[in-house]
Amino acid sequence: MSKTKTSKTVHLTIDGQNVEAPKGAMILDVTPGLGVEIPSLCAHPGLEPFGACRLCVVEIQKPGWDDWYKQLVTSCLFQVEEGLKVWTNSDEVRQNRKVVLDLLMARVPASDVIRDLGNQYGVTKTSYAEVDTEDTCIMCDICVRACHAIGRDAIASMSRGPDKYVDVPDKDACIGCLVCANLCPTNAIPFTANDNGKRRIWGKEFDLVTDERSGEVLGTTEYIEHVRKRAEDKGLLCPEDMKHESARVKRYGYAQKLSHVADVEEPIEEVK
Amino acid sequence: MTSSNGKPFGSVKNLLKRAEKILKERKKLKQEIRVCAGPGCIALGAKDIHKELCKQLDDHKKELEAAGLELNVTLSEKCTGCHGMCEAGPIVTIEPEGTFYTGVKPRDTKKIVEKTLLKDQLVDPLLYQLGHHRGGGKVKHYADIPFYSLQLRVALRKVGVVDPTNFDDFLAEGGFQAFAKAIAEMTPEDVIDQVEKSGLRGRGGAGFSTGRKWRSALRVKEDRVWLICNGDEGDPGAFMDRAIMEGDPYSVLEGMMIGAYALGATDAWIYVRHEYPLAVEHLQMAIDKLTNAGLLGENILGTGMTLNVRISRGGGAFVCGESSALMRSLEGKVGEPRAKYVRSVEKGLHDEPTVLNNVETFTCVPAIIDKGAEWFASMGREKSKGTKAFSLVGKVKHTGLIEVPMGRTLREIIFDIGGGIIDDRPFKAVQTGGPSGGCLPAGKLNLQVDFDTLADAGAMMGSGGMIVMDDHTCMVDVAKYFINFLIGESCGKCVPCREGLYQLYDLLNKITNGEGKPGDLETIETLCHTMEVASLCALGKSAPYPVTSTIKYFREEYEEHINDGVCRAGVCPKLIVYHINDDCNGCEVCRKHCPTNAITGEKKKLHVIDPDLCISCGICKSVCKFDTIDIMSGGKIVSRDVVA
Amino acid sequence: MTPSKKAGVGSPRSGAKTSKTKKKNGAGKNASKVILAATDEILAHYPLEEASLIMVLQELNDQLNWLPPKALERVAKKLNVPFGKVQGVATFYRAFSLKPKGKKTVKVCTGTACHVRGASMLVDELKRSLEVEPGEGISEDGNFSLETVNCVGACAMAPVAMIGDHYYASMTPGNIAKMLKKEKPE
Ligand SMILES: Cc1cc2nc3c(=O)[nH]c(=O)nc-3n(C[C@H](O)[C@H](O)[C@H](O)COP(=O)(O)O)c2cc1C
Ligand code: SF4
Ligand code: SF4
Ligand code: FES
Ligand code: FES
Repeated sequence: MSKTKTSKTVHLTIDGQNVEAPKGAMILDVTPGLGVEIPSLCAHPGLEPFGACRLCVVEIQKPGWDDWYKQLVTSCLFQVEEGLKVWTNSDEVRQNRKVVLDLLMARVPASDVIRDLGNQYGVTKTSYAEVDTEDTCIMCDICVRACHAIGRDAIASMSRGPDKYVDVPDKDACIGCLVCANLCPTNAIPFTANDNGKRRIWGKEFDLVTDERSGEVLGTTEYIEHVRKRAEDKGLLCPEDMKHESARVKRYGYAQKLSHVADVEEPIEEVK
Repeated sequence: MTSSNGKPFGSVKNLLKRAEKILKERKKLKQEIRVCAGPGCIALGAKDIHKELCKQLDDHKKELEAAGLELNVTLSEKCTGCHGMCEAGPIVTIEPEGTFYTGVKPRDTKKIVEKTLLKDQLVDPLLYQLGHHRGGGKVKHYADIPFYSLQLRVALRKVGVVDPTNFDDFLAEGGFQAFAKAIAEMTPEDVIDQVEKSGLRGRGGAGFSTGRKWRSALRVKEDRVWLICNGDEGDPGAFMDRAIMEGDPYSVLEGMMIGAYALGATDAWIYVRHEYPLAVEHLQMAIDKLTNAGLLGENILGTGMTLNVRISRGGGAFVCGESSALMRSLEGKVGEPRAKYVRSVEKGLHDEPTVLNNVETFTCVPAIIDKGAEWFASMGREKSKGTKAFSLVGKVKHTGLIEVPMGRTLREIIFDIGGGIIDDRPFKAVQTGGPSGGCLPAGKLNLQVDFDTLADAGAMMGSGGMIVMDDHTCMVDVAKYFINFLIGESCGKCVPCREGLYQLYDLLNKITNGEGKPGDLETIETLCHTMEVASLCALGKSAPYPVTSTIKYFREEYEEHINDGVCRAGVCPKLIVYHINDDCNGCEVCRKHCPTNAITGEKKKLHVIDPDLCISCGICKSVCKFDTIDIMSGGKIVSRDVVA
Repeated sequence: MTPSKKAGVGSPRSGAKTSKTKKKNGAGKNASKVILAATDEILAHYPLEEASLIMVLQELNDQLNWLPPKALERVAKKLNVPFGKVQGVATFYRAFSLKPKGKKTVKVCTGTACHVRGASMLVDELKRSLEVEPGEGISEDGNFSLETVNCVGACAMAPVAMIGDHYYASMTPGNIAKMLKKEKPE
């Protein structure tokens, strides 16, 4: 600990590769570009790590541990350390991911995202009792965290244990920005982006605003009002910016925008 | 009541002076009657007894005075916390003789006053009776009852002794001597040294060294350190912390004050389980009293120390006993645990440094400071020092609250202190550690109870619940019970715990319903492994223990359920049938009570249960006065009593 | 007891389960005034911040026996906590009820000690005779709700049922009817 205190980077090995990584980064954050693949469902670069899906587990060994002793940790929540050894695809890792996916396949049998992942780990049919539902939510909390990040807090998780579900109990809080639906890893939030100038999500209907000259859809009235207000409050977004950003209400194109808007209120850890 | 004439003490000297004065006054006291007002005794009507006792004392005022017993001066009565032997309640004791009356009814108080107080005679029917194997004699003093004589009370030292609402009482029993000593004679460093040397390990479950925890918090120097006392006690079947908070709130606070002094903490919370209103009441009373007396608040005893203690009632969630979930709950949020990469001594409550300890842990601290680390370390075993309180319940004769040095064997606890199994049935298992613990079979009865031996055997010390089971307890059903409990208590954040528990319950439920398949046990074991290693917090990680430990020690019982559809304990409703045997005299009681009209038969003739209509509710068996209803499973009689 | 209605995740999407704009719960104008007055009264004793949320809800629940949507809205606004979070907290903790309760609540201890002495038979019998599920619903005559609790500290007298402050010790399925008859409110 004390030796590395002054330096800003640490050295570790991931599946035998030597890696230099910024101190404080999570294992999952430093894997892109290394050719190793760690599946994850609840992590998102623009959001605080959460640790709900447990799919990103890896095995680690700290310097000084007995040779045979390894520990299973979630890579999205485990900070890199000097001398750490990481295995991202060992038998133990694969076995536990398999059980997690097996469980999820029983939980959301209708989700093709989960089914595909499960197949990759050799689960073709769940070993457990399938829940009879069309719903595909896996309670990863991404939508809740995303809605919080853009400053609305419309979505919240309700109840607990197996009865947990996400909901928008106060429809007024939802501005129809579609961030939640776009980020949902299992496409569990039904919505209609544009149906003759109307948008529907969370059981609520919104009017869309279109740029008069370009004919581009800028977003819902509520959304534009929200961005304008935040921009005014913080003085951070110019109207041009706003228009530009609003125009990107498109599937997945939203990830960067999200962190950008979120920056207005609280800085979110960027990935290197 | 006026401990300090309404004025704050102002200095350590004044406090000690006051304590001395009270002690002197107390010397005049010739007799004291203590009515147990623990939850068990209250359930059996202790409050009415106290009321009636006061009335009787008043009625006999003249005679008592003539006998040299002046009310309040040389004779007093009080309600105390739990005496421990709940099953014999309501309990009344008389000091200094140590006379021990059990099963007292309001009308008995007259006899107690007239015979015991005035004539110095014992009321025979109220005396405690020894079991047959001990000769069945009557015992006059509680010191002679094995239940007590084999115990050693440290954390429970004042529970059942002091009136929890009376500060003077607490002072008279040596209260606040330790705090005075710490604040006047010791540096914070000294205090931590002592706690560390004593070998005290956290009593809340994990058994982490308290001294080390405190020292690591000391290193993180920040403006504000939060101190939290964990009184959430979620283990269903444990009530040690409750007994302490209700019966001796001042000791909890004294321990916290010593901790706050050592850590430089100025703000503290006590997080009390939602179902414990009396604990909240007594703690609040104590806090108010201490604040008025200048022992809490600003400039405590003129030393410049500041400490504000507040109480938070839990919201009714087992997972909030987990430290990070508890802190979220104190912040007004949903009690979801946080990943451990942020350490709470650095970033805990409101992201500020926080030290959290259990009620019993804090309560041990004053005793350690008072009597020294060596004294505490002289009790117990090498790696588990001191004593531990347990709630000994289930199918054991003497249920109640006990405290023993670490290292006592399970056999000593269950058979010597607990008096063995009800009706002398065969012992089957003991469950320790609550929902995170495991079940140990008869072969482990010689295990010396401490943190590490229990963990090695697949159980856990946990908070100290100890549930004894006999041959009428189905181990699959017990495992299912704990999983069902945990399903309701999992926060639902992470997949292995949330979905794993649900599926585990489903599998166990099928087994108890006779729908189990070969291979189920292997599926369960695979699932349990992943839950154990991949869950986010300790709830999910330890949730499989009740299952894995019962599979380990009672695998054949699982197999019987799966392969033969037999529940040998006669518990699982789908695997048993009720049957009326030939001793039936046709009294018709069962027939009238059966909710599904499954019983037919004429008066004075043998009655018969139609197995197709029977829903195994057990009513017939519980109302039959002649014990002629059997439970059958797999064609054999496996009867169990509906009420133990 | 059993997590039977697991499908919770999907269905509430329609917003039916916790919607704020739901019809009044049979409460007239007056009742809602009383509720709001009680809410404001309680809020006055706490700092208006998120950390007060659970304590405020507890007092509300103690006073009204449940948490009406109107009260939750008011609490959310005053403490400046998003309504979703308030609803989340209210549904997370066992201490809160989001539905009105019967005149009396029968609590059956299902702690471990009570369980091994047959508490589940009591629960089954009460479910049958009151025709309610634990934690849900009111008996047809409006008198009783049913709840299971974990260890009421009277393990020595297991299995235990409680109505109000009154403990019923060493219960059997056979004497439940008697208990209900005795406790029946006028
Ligand atoms: C699910 C769960 C429930 C817990 N419940 C309690 C509890 O009711 N009381 C308690 O003191 N500790 C409980 N703990 C342990 C605490 O997290 C913590 O370790 C303990 O309070 C620390 O105090 P100690 O060091 O004095 O034992 C629980 C832990 C978990 C994971
Ligand atoms: S709806 Fe999607 S994003 Fe939201 S919690 Fe469910 S799976 Fe995650
Ligand atoms: S292990 Fe269970 S209680 Fe703990 S975080 Fe996961 S779901 Fe919540
Ligand atoms: S991505 Fe790490 S737990 Fe979900
Ligand atoms: S388990 Fe029921 S009172 Fe303790």
